[in-house]
Amino acid sequence: MVFAHGFGCDQTMWRLVAPEFERDHTVVLFDHVGSGRSDLSAYDPEKYGSLEGYAGDIVEICRELELCDVVLVAHSVASMMAVLAFAQAPELFGALVLIGPSPRYVDDGDYVGGFSRTDIAGLLDALDSNHLGWSADMAPVIMGNRDRPELAEELTNSFCRTAPDIARQFARVTFLSDNRADLPGVAVPTLILQCSADAIAPDAVGEYVHRNIPGSELVRLSATGHVPQLSAPEETTAAIRAFLDR
Amino acid sequence: MSDGDAVDPSAQLDRLLEDDPADLYENAPMGYLSTLPDGRIVKVNKTFCAWTGRLPEDLLDQRFQDLLSVGGRVFHETHLVPLLRMQGAVREIAIDVQRLDGSLLPCLLNAVELRGPDGRPQLVRATLFEATARRRYERELLAAQRLAEESEARSRTVQKVVFDLAAAGTEEDVATVIVARGRDALKARGAALVLVQGEPAGPVLPALRPIHWEGVSRELLRRLREAAGSRLALELAQGVRSIVLDERLGEDQPGLAVAMAETGLTELVIVPVSADSKRLGVLVLALGDAAPGQLISLVEPGQRRELPATEIDLLYTLGRQAGQALERVRLHEETVRQAERLSFLLDAARLMADSVDVDDMVTRLADLSVARLADICVIDLVTEHGTSRMAARHRDPERQPLLEGLRDQLAAQAPNHPGRRALAEGRTQWVRDVDESGLASMTLDGAQRSAVHRLELSSVVSVPMAIDGRRLGVLTFAADRNRTPFTPADVEVVEQLALQMSQVVDKAQRFELESRTSHTLQESLLPTDPPPIPGLRTAVRYVAATQGVSVGGDFYDVVLLPGGLVGLSVGDVVGHDITAAATMGQLRSVSRAMAADGPTASELIERLQDSWSLLGVQRMATALFGTLDPVSGALRVASAGHLPPLVCANGTASFLPVRPTRMLGAPRADQPAEEWVGELPVGATLLLYTDGLVESRDVDIDAGMDRLLEVAARACSADSDPDALCDRLLAEMAGEHRPDDIALLALTRL
Repeated sequence: MVFAHGFGCDQTMWRLVAPEFERDHTVVLFDHVGSGRSDLSAYDPEKYGSLEGYAGDIVEICRELELCDVVLVAHSVASMMAVLAFAQAPELFGALVLIGPSPRYVDDGDYVGGFSRTDIAGLLDALDSNHLGWSADMAPVIMGNRDRPELAEELTNSFCRTAPDIARQFARVTFLSDNRADLPGVAVPTLILQCSADAIAPDAVGEYVHRNIPGSELVRLSATGHVPQLSAPEETTAAIRAFLDR
Repeated sequence: MSDGDAVDPSAQLDRLLEDDPADLYENAPMGYLSTLPDGRIVKVNKTFCAWTGRLPEDLLDQRFQDLLSVGGRVFHETHLVPLLRMQGAVREIAIDVQRLDGSLLPCLLNAVELRGPDGRPQLVRATLFEATARRRYERELLAAQRLAEESEARSRTVQKVVFDLAAAGTEEDVATVIVARGRDALKARGAALVLVQGEPAGPVLPALRPIHWEGVSRELLRRLREAAGSRLALELAQGVRSIVLDERLGEDQPGLAVAMAETGLTELVIVPVSADSKRLGVLVLALGDAAPGQLISLVEPGQRRELPATEIDLLYTLGRQAGQALERVRLHEETVRQAERLSFLLDAARLMADSVDVDDMVTRLADLSVARLADICVIDLVTEHGTSRMAARHRDPERQPLLEGLRDQLAAQAPNHPGRRALAEGRTQWVRDVDESGLASMTLDGAQRSAVHRLELSSVVSVPMAIDGRRLGVLTFAADRNRTPFTPADVEVVEQLALQMSQVVDKAQRFELESRTSHTLQESLLPTDPPPIPGLRTAVRYVAATQGVSVGGDFYDVVLLPGGLVGLSVGDVVGHDITAAATMGQLRSVSRAMAADGPTASELIERLQDSWSLLGVQRMATALFGTLDPVSGALRVASAGHLPPLVCANGTASFLPVRPTRMLGAPRADQPAEEWVGELPVGATLLLYTDGLVESRDVDIDAGMDRLLEVAARACSADSDPDALCDRLLAEMAGEHRPDDIALLALTRL
């Protein structure tokens, strides 16, 4: 099983979910180039100017590790990377699990993505404002947890921090891509996990993805928000487990 | 004020400090709120309510994230929630809270997550500080930073362009760089570099040629070129400007508007490409909806973003950089091409010098031309039966059949065909840019048009060949769309080639005419079969030279004289042309006339010498005259500078010792013609011949004479046959290449 994190943080997002699968799967976690503890010098604005570049990395990881029949679990924007990775190398993947996927965030005619162009422009600004503050020194000001020193280690590495330039481009690529046309190409069993009251990928979008990926399965979680693997790890794990057991 | 009423400042301070914690919570100078892990607000203070203009009861049970701006909501989900979940706290998160009236309150947020014994989240406590001034400052800082970044990005673009252009060696390279970089700079859907061919001033409209394009259709470029049309010079002078797809464009340039709409474009940005004051062309950047694989534009569909001045400056710079690079590579290419042109002309001249004939020359020139200068070379020559297509070659053998399909008489072409016009008007026709209308006027019908269409011609040059006003033919060169169009220097090369060819063709045509006339004349003058003479067997041969004019003034004659004698003659008029042939005819007639009253051979020579000036003959000649009595074998021979006759019999051969005197027409000398008198034995053969038999480029005359003796001796047996002797001599001595004509006259006495 390969877990691909979405926009925002890094592979630690999976820590409440991934261990559950370690007993019967090879579990691979990674940070996208530009995020977490990835090698920032490997960041190439040209390559990562589209989701194809990220998808290529997933394929490369699978090939490098000689994985086969991969269950690719992807959160948020990584869902579309997963769809593209499948298109690039269908032979590698046995199933896809897409958590809160959205093929296009910007509304387009009858299609409801949940955001207007103005919203996205505001969002990009908001992200910039925070990165400005964060580019100072954020880690020391976050309260540490003395009982759990490994957390302190995490804090100094600040898993949600990204270099502002990279974060900005990643945000643009995330929120300004349109992968609707790629959905029908997915030809492996696919599970879509849709949270309730998800401000980023509303229910209608989950429905849309479900309709457009042939034979896909849509499971609505009672978890709210956009990050069920953190807010409701048990429910998320159970849903994936149920899907894998079939 | 009494002491009792006096307020003790420290007591007052104590009272304030011992304030009700509830009041402190409610009225603290910051917003306080507590939410459940899913964001639902369970407790909120008055300060926050006052800031946001909401009542506590309105806020309770609402989700905190729903109070945020769209950007804030996304940030909440993607950063805040994970951070809280994993780190237990966040500090100084910039976030905008929506007031009841919809306005935004910029805040900084700190929060902690309270967890139960099992580590599960139970409550989130958050404090919010109003940060209007700070956020304004940050925003200004951010704006300044963005400007700086944009400016840096522009410098980087320019640097990259300069770097890439430095490595560009051809127009195509320059175009590839500038199209890619220009497209990147504006995040354009497509881009094209379109260059002007020739000067954009003057009466002739210069051609526009797209050099390289990405993401725009050929049709669009064609429409754009049409739209530029006659106002091109003006258009180029206008600087960076936009063509926006709107109603006006639909009315003014419907074709362009349709082409833009069909390919999802909304605007074309035209950037001048220039070097110093020279306007070389334009870089076209096509803006529009995001293409598949491209990021969605933040500009609302149907709306348009004005190009900021900084971007216009950047585009100007790109245009100038491209212009300078183009000038540089053009200069380089021109130097290389000039050298190529010179070497081409040199090779063409060499080829013309060693061609066997016109057909050979034309074929080889066409091959050379398509290998070196053009994609197509067609050569039409004027013949007595009209024009004839002598060669039509395409550089690409696969396209040769297309050209073959067009093989036709020039006269049958459309009146506007450049070749036909060149011939009719007697001057060069240069079609710089073959467009649809030009193509239509150059061709006769759809079939021809479609064949020419598939040849993808971009420019055509037709140059007439003429000498002294006499039309000799037309030389047509064409370039297709894969080649840089012809420049004035190329046209000059074609003209020079045409001039050289004119001279060669003219000379060859004259030569051929003369040679044909001479042969006709010669054939009509020489007796084909000598008369039958009792007691003699005779054979004659005339073999034309294989090189040069292929006609000579050689002759032979056998005539029955009064009194039973046989008059014999053989001779060679100096020169190889019509005059020589004509002189030969004259000489033969006169000598026949003179022989009628029976002069001896030497007398005949003397008479001819005396009357030479009266004959009005310009040339000199060698000749041998003789009389033979077929009954007695009495033989008298005299020579005017001619080679001695040969006698052979029974396997031996020898020259008769006839002493030659001056050539006919040579300056008078004291010595009169001498006559050899002897007898031709029965069975012996007398051979009279011209020098072509014994003299050639490789063999000198003495060696030739020795060889003649040897061959003749072998050929002459007891039962000798003059025909067999002649055939043997020609077979063994004449060979494949004869620089001179050969005349043979052989008589065997029976």
